[in-house]
Amino acid sequence: MIEVKGLNKSFNGKPVLENINIKFKPGECSLIIGASGSGKTVLLKNLVGLYSPDEGEIWYDSNNFTSMDLAHKKVFRKEMGMLFQESALFDFATVQENVMFPMDFFTDWSFEQKLERVNFCLNRVNLENVNNLYPAQLSGGMQKRVGIARAIAMKPKYLFCDEPNSGLDPTTSIVIDRLIQEITTEYQITTVINTHDMNSVMEIGDHIGFIHKGHLVWEGNNKQIMDTDCQPLNDFVFANNLARQLKKNSSV
Amino acid sequence: MKQMFQTAGEYCQLMARVFRRPEKWTIFWRQFWIESQKLIIASIPLLIIISASVGAVIVIQTASNLESPFIPKYYVGVMARESLVLEFCSTMIALILAGKMGSSIASEIGSMRITEQIDAMEIMGVNSANFLILPKICSATIFSPLLMLMSFFIGLCGGAVLISLTGIITLGQYADGLQFAFRSWYIFYSMIKMGLFCFLITSFASYYGYYAKGGSLGVGKSSTQAIVISSTLILIFDLILTKLLL
Ligand SMILES: Nc1ncnc2c1ncn2[C@@H]1O[C@H](COP(=O)(O)OP(=O)(O)OP(=O)(O)O)[C@@H](O)[C@H]1O
Ligand SMILES: [Mg+2]
Repeated sequence: MIEVKGLNKSFNGKPVLENINIKFKPGECSLIIGASGSGKTVLLKNLVGLYSPDEGEIWYDSNNFTSMDLAHKKVFRKEMGMLFQESALFDFATVQENVMFPMDFFTDWSFEQKLERVNFCLNRVNLENVNNLYPAQLSGGMQKRVGIARAIAMKPKYLFCDEPNSGLDPTTSIVIDRLIQEITTEYQITTVINTHDMNSVMEIGDHIGFIHKGHLVWEGNNKQIMDTDCQPLNDFVFANNLARQLKKNSSV
Repeated sequence: MKQMFQTAGEYCQLMARVFRRPEKWTIFWRQFWIESQKLIIASIPLLIIISASVGAVIVIQTASNLESPFIPKYYVGVMARESLVLEFCSTMIALILAGKMGSSIASEIGSMRITEQIDAMEIMGVNSANFLILPKICSATIFSPLLMLMSFFIGLCGGAVLISLTGIITLGQYADGLQFAFRSWYIFYSMIKMGLFCFLITSFASYYGYYAKGGSLGVGKSSTQAIVISSTLILIFDLILTKLLL
């Protein structure tokens, strides 16, 4: 379980996140939703320790992650997988080497064992015959999927995904969402996903937090989200015409 | 001034993370050979062209300035040897390498920083500074003295080729000059200088790349800074070492 307590973060005096309190449970897909620029990425980076909070604490089970030293953090980081918004694949390495990278460092597996794991992970994100391509030779969506494969390569206990299906077509999007949900329940992973994709929200939103202008203004699940009276959330959910029509029809 | 202390502090902090025992030696050695290829082997063609032409130019200039009959002809060889070994093959070559290695290192690491590749490594629990920077520093510091030696021989050969083409003096006189009052310590001195300079280049270029920010513009800025700072430091340390070692 990950617990955020009273998190504040500002950049150059401009507050980005204010007093965020939220818990993420294992075996559950937690979605952070919110408009572009609302601070989702900043929250995720605080969770993994790439930014340190101005105020407040991040707890991993009964360990205060915020006040840990680097050596200690490293122990937790070996159990984290993260997909970055821009994928952040290593340009100097092929797809295969990218996914194998953490295994090279932290396992004593033979090359065949590592390769087997790489192919397994790539298969799960519907990628085939790309092992020897470089990231620059892939499309944006393929890079994203390699990023996911790399994030799950070491069977993480904590999985963080920053917009896993932006730039993907609807079908692949759903495949990725289901994959994340599957492994989350299968391995009891604590999964935190940033998204503004309403399909994902409806599909896998076991637990949803809505961030509006740096505040966590709503928490709930994908059943409650349809009939909330939180105005900014309504504006967000029913931003498009189709959704508004559906709501109108269902309420009549 | 405050900026300078901050840079120094950050630099020391970074180096403290760089000089750790690598997670796996096999990975370190693999990276070490890759970097040696990129930093050292790839610099050899440039080095050959520059050293040979400078060797030849020194010979022409010395010969044309030695019109006086009281100075023996073999002095051309002495001059070529001394100027190559004392300044050119270490300091000048290092300044050229500061441009070549410095910009390539700073832009490589800088672009990894701004595309979050370094963050991705950190999240995995990999010490990115150690993985990325240590092999670069080690290979440049260990192999650059050999580059200096090579530059020295090629410079001397450049002089010899020019002499045999133009006949300003005889090759015999040149060879006598090269051996006259030869002190092998100078060569060691120059190799030490070169090693230190390349340490400065690689570590500062890595530092500026590692802390690059502000998109691709920032990467460009960091590689310019890397070149400026490492060139300045090379000149300062050249003075200090010359005072200390000679
Ligand atoms: N390193 C930084 N320095 C200064 N400001 C930053 C930094 N990172 C983020 N911000 C600011 O924080 C705010 C939130 O950014 P963030 O990237 O978290 O948005 P987001 O919710 O992830 O948006 P998107 O959906 O577009 O990815 C933005 O206003 C941005 O300007
Ligand atoms: Mg974002």
